[in-house]
Amino acid sequence: MAKDSIAGLVAQLYNAKINRREFGKRAAAAGLSAGLIGQALAVHATRAQDVELPPAATIGQEGFAASSDTSKGTIKIYSSWPLTGTMELTGGDAVVAAQMAFDDFGNASGGYELVYEALDEGVAANNGGWEAGKVTENANKAINDAEAMVYMGTYNSGSGKIAIPILNQAGMAMISFANTYPGLTVAVEGATEEGEPEVYYPTGVRNYMRVCPADQIQGGAGARWAYEAQERRMAYVLDDNSLYGKGVATVFRNTFEELGGEILGAESYEKSLDNYQTLMTSIADKGPDIVYLGATVENNAAKILQDMRGVMGEEVIFLGSDGLNNQTFVDGAADAANGAWITFGGYTPDKLLELGGAGGDYVTRVTEKLGHSPDAYSVYSYETAVAVIQAIGRAGTNDRTAILDELFGTENFNSLLGFTWSFNENGDTDNSVIGLSQVIDNQIAFQEAIS
Amino acid sequence: MHFNYELFLNYLIQGLANGALIALIALGYTIVYGIVELINFAHGEVFMMGAFLAFTIVAATGITSTDPLYQIVGVFLIALLGAMIFSAAINFSIDRVAYRRLRSAPRLAPLICAIGFSFILQQIAIYWKGPVSISPPPLIPSDYRTYNILTELFGLETKVRLKPIDVAVFVITIPLLLLLTWFIRSTRTGKAMRATAQDQQASALMGIDVNRTISTAFVIGGLLAGAAGMIALYYNNIARAQMGFRYGLFAFTAAVLGGIGNLSGAVLGGFLIGFIWAMSDGMVKEYIPSWGAQWTNSVIFGILVIIMVFRPSGLIGEHTTEKV
Amino acid sequence: MSAASTSLPAPYRPEESWGHKHRESLLLAIAIAVFAIYPFVDSWLGFGRLGSWGPMLIYVILAMGLNVVVGYAGLLDLGYAAFFAIGAYTMGFLTSPTSYFIKAGWVPEWMQHFWPALAFSWGTAAIAGILLGAPTLRLRGDYLAIVTLGFGEIVPNFFLNAEGITGGTAGINPIAMPTAVTLFGHRISFTPTDQRNWYWLILFIAVLSFFMIRRFYNSRLGRTWAAIREDEIAASSMGVDLVKTKLLAFAIGASFAGFAGSIYASYFQYVHPDNFQFSVSITILAMVILGGLGNIYGAIVGAILIGFFDRIFAEEMNRPMHWLGDTLGIDFLASHDLKQDKFLVFGLALVIMMLLRPEGLVPSSRRRAELHPETEDIAEAQNQTAYDVEHDEQQLSLGDEGR
Repeated sequence: MAKDSIAGLVAQLYNAKINRREFGKRAAAAGLSAGLIGQALAVHATRAQDVELPPAATIGQEGFAASSDTSKGTIKIYSSWPLTGTMELTGGDAVVAAQMAFDDFGNASGGYELVYEALDEGVAANNGGWEAGKVTENANKAINDAEAMVYMGTYNSGSGKIAIPILNQAGMAMISFANTYPGLTVAVEGATEEGEPEVYYPTGVRNYMRVCPADQIQGGAGARWAYEAQERRMAYVLDDNSLYGKGVATVFRNTFEELGGEILGAESYEKSLDNYQTLMTSIADKGPDIVYLGATVENNAAKILQDMRGVMGEEVIFLGSDGLNNQTFVDGAADAANGAWITFGGYTPDKLLELGGAGGDYVTRVTEKLGHSPDAYSVYSYETAVAVIQAIGRAGTNDRTAILDELFGTENFNSLLGFTWSFNENGDTDNSVIGLSQVIDNQIAFQEAIS
Repeated sequence: MHFNYELFLNYLIQGLANGALIALIALGYTIVYGIVELINFAHGEVFMMGAFLAFTIVAATGITSTDPLYQIVGVFLIALLGAMIFSAAINFSIDRVAYRRLRSAPRLAPLICAIGFSFILQQIAIYWKGPVSISPPPLIPSDYRTYNILTELFGLETKVRLKPIDVAVFVITIPLLLLLTWFIRSTRTGKAMRATAQDQQASALMGIDVNRTISTAFVIGGLLAGAAGMIALYYNNIARAQMGFRYGLFAFTAAVLGGIGNLSGAVLGGFLIGFIWAMSDGMVKEYIPSWGAQWTNSVIFGILVIIMVFRPSGLIGEHTTEKV
Repeated sequence: MSAASTSLPAPYRPEESWGHKHRESLLLAIAIAVFAIYPFVDSWLGFGRLGSWGPMLIYVILAMGLNVVVGYAGLLDLGYAAFFAIGAYTMGFLTSPTSYFIKAGWVPEWMQHFWPALAFSWGTAAIAGILLGAPTLRLRGDYLAIVTLGFGEIVPNFFLNAEGITGGTAGINPIAMPTAVTLFGHRISFTPTDQRNWYWLILFIAVLSFFMIRRFYNSRLGRTWAAIREDEIAASSMGVDLVKTKLLAFAIGASFAGFAGSIYASYFQYVHPDNFQFSVSITILAMVILGGLGNIYGAIVGAILIGFFDRIFAEEMNRPMHWLGDTLGIDFLASHDLKQDKFLVFGLALVIMMLLRPEGLVPSSRRRAELHPETEDIAEAQNQTAYDVEHDEQQLSLGDEGR
């Protein structure tokens, strides 16, 4: 409508019926009205639909009763991670899983209506990866929204590092389902920077939690498995020059050396190049028996694996970190992916199905919703949302500090993984399960728990 | 430190294969620049679109490595031809739609336009195949990816690897280069192109259709870029919408290195850049322990800046003063 | 000189009413006032968009700065983000507790605060501009563009890989925020929850930059920029010092990127090499070109338009579009994400503007005359030129007080 009127205006301008200034005024008016209509439509589109009353919780807090009481008002929960490009599958599945948790609890808790909004912090120019500007903008949006109580995110540790201090200064709880860089919560010798993690908490009060095991566990478990179970002695360590990739690679390197293995070399690759044959030839020349890659899929990791297989045979094993535990990576590397090992802090969906129970039930339901097998991290996204809902229920008030305290105090949470976990004083989960998967027939198949 | 000849030869082979690709793209830059003095910034994306079309053609035929050899070769050639024509068509259209109308505009106008097209094409590619890296259908049997001609065919005891795909790159590139040389040297159109590059007004007075000649330059550049796209698709075995930008800049650096506007210079520059890339990725760290592949970009752009500043006519270009 | 100018007839001056004469100042005052009260409008109407306007104003500063280099002096800079990066990193180096330079004890205590670091970043970026400018001056336009592009690629790459100093991929954070001040009994602090104060701070710096740049443009320097842009050789033979003029253009343009960078770093509390990629340079270029090369108002309009599309419009229109797609059953509309179209829009903006309206939406009068020679009324143009020259000479003799 506005478009037509603007087209009309342009025609008038060209036919010299109106002068330029008049055109400007009218075009501005047309644009403004279009914007207002857009706003109205947006409000219409987000109105929550009614859901039937859910059963009492079988996950999370023992005996938590869901209620549909929304008499006290509205609480908003924002989430922020990349949702497009290479992150479309991982990020999109996580949003669907979180939304499923809210739906399961009737979008209400503690007397409040819960409104969940997923923000995107990725940009197309970055392969769908996160951008600092977007991360800050999303965090600022949340803290300046009086109804917002909890912030769920982020996916990448690098963006978590930016969001934590902002939310910290606003006293808002932040809970991540996928940040694994150790320095966000604890100092680990050799793997974290000086001053970490205190620099992220300017107020001195911890407000950040994560439900997945951090990299000091994952990298270490990977190194022990390589050294002990696979009897590897000579490793070459690569990373994608990201905070997360470097962190997990460093832990692997340190643990592997402590065990007595030899590190033949370690370096970061440039993600913008399209060809790593020479790099891989130089690595092959050193004769490693294992190549470790700490990277996320949007940083051209699939190409690294392809070119590695171009010059190294099956006798050299490939071990990747959890950022590669997704179908996008496997599809990108095509046949070269077969045989690759990938660690993951927890159980992958195929293992959950095998375990059955609440976890299996979750995978079945979310698969139905998505139309495909969920990303491995979506289970943590679901648990994050459940923890948030139940903390709001326990607090029963729309006070950020009270909800933060309740969330931080989450303990004996009945996990979909078949055990219970609690947050420690740093906001880390005491869940330390590291699953190991292998790519077989272009599918990620769970093999064993190595920690 | 001991100099590792085998390793060096490996890098040389990979560098030259990569260099051949870069040379094909660099020629597109240099031909166009030679005639209209325009840095066709969108050229890298034209190359990328070639790779994407080749991908689509191969995927559409459904032929994979398990089919009979003649079919594989047939599809390969069809995709190569398709990519060349497609890229040429894009390059030609951009010239017709935009650059031609800006011939008399200030020099920066078409350059800014070209940057705009580069972004548009990249975005179209993202709509087309998504922003994810994609692996082409396996046309080449996977054994051939690791097959070493030197050890398995000639029975040599060596760590040097020469793979069929490396040979294929040269088998496609070198005839194209020879064909181009013959075209520019000996055909009427080629002569017209050289004349136009020398002096557009005089050529027009001599009866040369300058606009047609310029279009031809864009078409030739596009053909070569399309061929490079197809080769890159199977040489790298991966394609993504962003590949044009990096390859494009490397190729432009190659063109500058050899003296922009100079055909043999562009080829030489291409091989040189490929070689430098390989050395920076592989060889340098043997001597400088803290070196890593992450510095390659800086090295190549450093060369670009240094050549531009200190020897803008390139390594083998003649020194010319700017026309006033 | 003075003897010559007295013998000339009095320059032609059109009759001007007070309103006409001060129209620009009036409009400017209104515009600044509108921007200044926006935070109240924002919270009154419940937009919650103040967080988007902060970065947009930073882009306005960048666009004004790039306009000096590209628009005024005609030097196409494709690596402008490098200066932005240098400004941001300078702020990080000087004020972050994790900074290498602070740990090494090279930064005096008084320097480790926002305002001194802001001034220092301004200077550092200007020096970087001179360092890049000096060797590239004799290159012609398109070569210069490529050199700046190369420079723009190397700088972030260096910041990414020189881990020991720059923190590499970890970036630098946190970074100092301006210290809280008490003004008329109000405590004005700059934590992330003080969006309004941040907005006004950025607005203040943007307005300051605006007046500085306008002052440069209206000075003798501004006219020599126009001269070298239009014809370098002619300008040079008229006695314009090419080296000095171009270097100043580079330095001044870069210095405002330094401003923008240091505020950006402090506002986002984080610097990372990925924030300064080539696409950032092109985004700023698209702003300047869309608005109108050579016109500071054009740069501002362009920056706001592109920033608005990028940060607000695409996001807000997604939901109604998805709703429309759902209702009409059009899958593309229902699932398409407008934010991903950003670079298509920027690319189209560059191409369409170059083809249809190379002088931009808000053209500068000098530039329009240059780009549309066919529409120029020769007689009038000659009068105009004569007037301009005399007018300038008058002003030179009057001590260069601007137009």
